[in-house]
Amino acid sequence: MTVRAMRERLPVLAVCLVLLAAGAAVWGGWSWYAAAHDGAADLARSRDRALAAGEQAVQNLNTLDHAALAPGLDLWEQSTTGDLHSQLVQGRAEFEKQVKQAQSVTTARVLDGAVTELDQAAGQAAVLIAVRITVRTGQEQPVTKDSRMLGRLTRTGEGWKLSALGQAPMGTTASTAPSAGQ
Amino acid sequence: MRPLLRWIAPALVLAAGLALLVTGQLVRNGADTADRALTDRAATARVTEEVGSALGRAFSYSATDSEGTRTAARAVFTGAAGEQYRALTEQLRGWVGEQQLTLTSRVVATGVVRLDADRAELLVLLDQSARRPDGTPTLTAAQLLVGARLEAGHWLVTDLKSL
Repeated sequence: MTVRAMRERLPVLAVCLVLLAAGAAVWGGWSWYAAAHDGAADLARSRDRALAAGEQAVQNLNTLDHAALAPGLDLWEQSTTGDLHSQLVQGRAEFEKQVKQAQSVTTARVLDGAVTELDQAAGQAAVLIAVRITVRTGQEQPVTKDSRMLGRLTRTGEGWKLSALGQAPMGTTASTAPSAGQ
Repeated sequence: MRPLLRWIAPALVLAAGLALLVTGQLVRNGADTADRALTDRAATARVTEEVGSALGRAFSYSATDSEGTRTAARAVFTGAAGEQYRALTEQLRGWVGEQQLTLTSRVVATGVVRLDADRAELLVLLDQSARRPDGTPTLTAAQLLVGARLEAGHWLVTDLKSL
């Protein structure tokens, strides 16, 4: 190709590049705008974080070794906030005494879980978690029990923490619909 | 200077476009937006309600049930769950008839584990009560992991797993 021929094609190349650049700018700009204004992505992230925190906290609160009480109960306190946290702190001494006496080792495995409510603005969520709890006491055969837990989570500066925890009641009515609010 | 500018300007625009694209991906990073559980409230409420009430009906069983009731209950199961349900009702039929039992199942709580456009996975807590004509009911708790598929506008149960 002669230099002259190249010079004649340059404008065509330039136009192609401009079009390509404009296309990339529009695509990039749109993608950025959509992501930044995507409430669903934000909500999805909160949901997944709340569930992960809820499952971990439920497992923590159902795990305790009488031989390592202090770290176990410290973890309970770290996993909780609000009323549940205060209850655990208040009841700690009495609880330590009971577990030492029983010489029990409790372990838990989360079977499955789901977020049932999520209020992003208020930093509140509710989770439903099925957990298998095994208790070993002395030389006795371990006892395994499946438990269905309903937990409430509150968002704190250190992420989501459990603020209430209870077993799903049997034989009573409970609301199952996701609550209103963002 | 002019020819140089002619190249630099589009190159800058291109770079800016790509930068915005990357930023967009980073902002989205870590969010599982394909999972619509709770992010799409209407769809979440709907699958919760449809699957929950279907399971409540299907796992309630009485010797006096009409054939229509049984057929309606069966209709929500498909695939592997259909086979499972058929086997279960075969067993129940003899048992319920002999002892005049009435089984009632009530949904205590439902959580949507995952929700796509036409697939869902739910965690369903059921209370099951078995009652004889003269006796007090016996309550048992069941935890089910339920797979569901949206077909012709209705959620059908495709998988059932007792946890």
